[in-house]
Amino acid sequence: MNFVKRYLLPRLISYFLVIWLGITVVFFIPRLTPNDPVIRMIDQMRARGSTLEPGAMDGIIEDLTRMYGLEGSWLDQYGDMWGRLVRGDFGVSFFQFPTPVNQIIGNALPWTLGLLLSTTAITFIFGNVIGGIAGYYTRRRWSRALDALAMVIRPLPYYIFAFSLLLIFSYLVRWFPITGGSSLGALPEFSWDYIKDVLWHSTLPAASLVVLGGVVVFQTMKLLVQNVNSESFVQYAKLGGVTEDRIVSKYIIRNAMLPQITGLALSFGQIFSGALITEIVFGYPGIGMLLYRAILNGDYNLIMGITVLSIVGITTAILLVDLTYPFLDPRIRYV
Amino acid sequence: MAGEISRREFLKTLSTGTGAFLLGSTGLIPISESLLKTDTAFAAQIGTFPREETLIARILTGRVGTPDNFNQWVGWKWQDRGMQNLADEPLWSVDFATGEIINGVAAGDPTYNADFTTLTVPLREGVAWSDGTPFTAADVVYTVETLMAYEGFNAHTFFVDNVESVTAVDEYTVEFVLKQANSRFHTTFLDRWGCTRIFPKHIFETQEDPTLFTFNPYVGCGPYKLHSFDPQGSWTAWEKREDWDKSPTGIMYGEPQPRYIIYQYFADEGAQILAQLTHQLDIVELSADGLKALLAQAETSRAYQPTFPFVVNNDPAITGIVFNTARPPFDKLDVRWALTLAIEIVEYTSIAVDSSGTLSPVHIPHLGPYPELYIGPMQEWLSEFTIDIGNGETFAPYDPDAAQRVADYARSRGYVFPEDAEFTTKTFGYGWYKYAPDIAERLLVNNGFSRGADNMWLLPDGTPWRISYMTGTVLSNHDARNAVAAVQQWRKFGIDATVFNTENGADLGSVGDFDVETVWPGREPWGAGPDLYRVLDDWNSAYIKPVGERAQSSYHSRWSTPEMDDIIRRLRETDPFNTEQVVAIGIEGLKEAVRNMPSVPTYGYIGFVGWDESYWTNWPGSENPYAVPYSHWPNFKYVTPFLRPAGQA
Repeated sequence: MNFVKRYLLPRLISYFLVIWLGITVVFFIPRLTPNDPVIRMIDQMRARGSTLEPGAMDGIIEDLTRMYGLEGSWLDQYGDMWGRLVRGDFGVSFFQFPTPVNQIIGNALPWTLGLLLSTTAITFIFGNVIGGIAGYYTRRRWSRALDALAMVIRPLPYYIFAFSLLLIFSYLVRWFPITGGSSLGALPEFSWDYIKDVLWHSTLPAASLVVLGGVVVFQTMKLLVQNVNSESFVQYAKLGGVTEDRIVSKYIIRNAMLPQITGLALSFGQIFSGALITEIVFGYPGIGMLLYRAILNGDYNLIMGITVLSIVGITTAILLVDLTYPFLDPRIRYV
Repeated sequence: MAGEISRREFLKTLSTGTGAFLLGSTGLIPISESLLKTDTAFAAQIGTFPREETLIARILTGRVGTPDNFNQWVGWKWQDRGMQNLADEPLWSVDFATGEIINGVAAGDPTYNADFTTLTVPLREGVAWSDGTPFTAADVVYTVETLMAYEGFNAHTFFVDNVESVTAVDEYTVEFVLKQANSRFHTTFLDRWGCTRIFPKHIFETQEDPTLFTFNPYVGCGPYKLHSFDPQGSWTAWEKREDWDKSPTGIMYGEPQPRYIIYQYFADEGAQILAQLTHQLDIVELSADGLKALLAQAETSRAYQPTFPFVVNNDPAITGIVFNTARPPFDKLDVRWALTLAIEIVEYTSIAVDSSGTLSPVHIPHLGPYPELYIGPMQEWLSEFTIDIGNGETFAPYDPDAAQRVADYARSRGYVFPEDAEFTTKTFGYGWYKYAPDIAERLLVNNGFSRGADNMWLLPDGTPWRISYMTGTVLSNHDARNAVAAVQQWRKFGIDATVFNTENGADLGSVGDFDVETVWPGREPWGAGPDLYRVLDDWNSAYIKPVGERAQSSYHSRWSTPEMDDIIRRLRETDPFNTEQVVAIGIEGLKEAVRNMPSVPTYGYIGFVGWDESYWTNWPGSENPYAVPYSHWPNFKYVTPFLRPAGQA
């Protein structure tokens, strides 16, 4: 009972409060910008040559405002938004009218999740394992070589690194495709051929994220392990004759992993924001570009749909970390 | 492609390539063509398509956001994914290389009655929709009536405001009765990158609410039909109709050559270039630097022109500088002329587009019929035209040798191109305005401006004169190129001018919250037809709103004069097919715009197109401009019968 009252309940209240606040901010901020979705749509259609007569502007604005559900005060729209939201309905996209936001996100999200979940997991596992070992054996030549390599790779701007991969592996040796999530003509189906095709197209985007993300995890873990290794309790254990395996697994890695797990949880939460530059360089599908365009076009409903996922993803990840920390860190108790 | 190289070879190539790239990027050694190329192997397949029967182009407007929805009458539907350019035939379109009207599903020009309240449209016989159903007047009537019946259609308001009734006189003739006189009503059906398109009645009439209909698969009268599309919007594939001879394209020009045409999405210019270098993309449209890089690396790519300036310089839009005439000091004619005369156009076009732009001194581009109909005949007037510079003195601002000076400068920088006058005029234009900083200074001083201690210009109230030039964020676009060049010129003249890059230019421009901007100095004139009504009508005083309210026109200078209103009225009352009369009135309109200079025309829009000749040849280049060279334009379907397979397999 004490756990529920003093530990779980305050965190749940804070969880729902953050979500409410986040959604409210996301509702009002786009409306506070001078970016009117109706005018953006008219400008887009004009810029692309559609015939919209100057004299008919007022009528077109009126029609679009009604169709987009932007009539009434912001408060009315805010109430409508929560009415839809509790039913899991984000409405229709203005710019991709009349496609429902749920359908647009549903199409793009699997690509983002597939790429970013796997690369985040790979980055986390390999970065921590190699970083942990390199941190423990920090004086070895290979450890210093890895550190030097990481120091060279880490400052590389992501775009330059990703494009270099494209240049080398898609143009010079032509092992991988230049663009897209699958081959021209390949339609989604549950077959090995299609899965192979998607994996082939995902290799370079994934490699770019794993390598640049991996060196960050590697360097952080290496430093953490080096710090923990120099702590007096570790020295005491060594002098006391505790086996090296036990020191590494129980004394060092377990302590060094705590901040890394928090970082992992936040990384998983941020997945819902997509990977915009990866999507641009490799022409990969996903919600990064979707969100970018939604912001540019003032597509309120689509912005809301994607950011709600992101807000809920990050707050849920933090809540889960909070709830599981006592299991990971013996210094924290449910009291 | 994978698995054709051994591990040893791979490592060798990888180390060589990486080393070369890194050294090249640091400038230690130049990246040579041989290092960057492995082979020129041609693929038999691309994805699931036979490569030698397939043409691949890029979607200009990006990844399709509504891949399974082809209802382009509602909202924005990425019409350049192949709908407008392959699968649809409009009533009419314009060839902007010649200014000629091309009849699509129409059989000829519309005929208006004397007071422009009715018009009759003859339709082409023998045309069928891509599902085999004959195209008739019933389709046109149904289209207009349906657009009027549902608010959700983009064109709903226009047709409700204009059309009293529409009837099928017979199977191939439609008659419109208009609510009020409108001599340009037919232009809503004139395709110049968008128009009112015709519904297939037999499909749409089965829908309860046609605004919610996804229209998948798309059915049109064009020579191609939908083959397949990526649910993520990365590509759309179209297949040649078996009955292509029942499309207006087939009837007019013969059989389209590519069996498949795919429009593919590329977000990154570098990826586009790599795709063409590896023969996976036949048509690219790049930045100036991108085209240079492509031509330097590619053995099989060509540009629109075989020599400098390489670019496509016959786009129907003019670029330039737009003043907000509702905001001081740009409300003063002298200030607008001073800023024009502070520009050295040779330097300006060098900064903006590496001297590759075609100059125009008036608010239409130097292309198609315009040099012959407008810009050429206006040379005498331009040379004699003067502006008042005070104390009873005048100044003739026009410099007929400006284009020659641009050509000479480009040649001095090592570019090689023909020296004959015809080439110079066609490529660089006739003339532009003089670089006269002394006259500009005088005009400003006459209006109370002065120079400060640092020699920078002060406003009449003694405060520093700062100009914020609003433009977009894509620095390779012509709005940004004009902005950078103008700001550099004005800073050189002593004005504290800066570039303001924003994604929100359309909104800020619309409510008049800017000093100077670049959209277009004059509206694009219906694809380069002789009629300038669309250009001039944007200066109609009826559309002007006070600053803070949204302007009704797409043109943001908020300028008009009673004289311009009268010109617009007279043009509206003139038969648009009476070329002699519309040109005479159009010239009057252009003169009025030059006299007042609410915006400064600089050079015509130029495109940086690259074509790969590995699989397809006979592209519509400058030596044989048989059709519009852009694959995203509706006229691209008219290119397809003229392409020739290169025979690679």
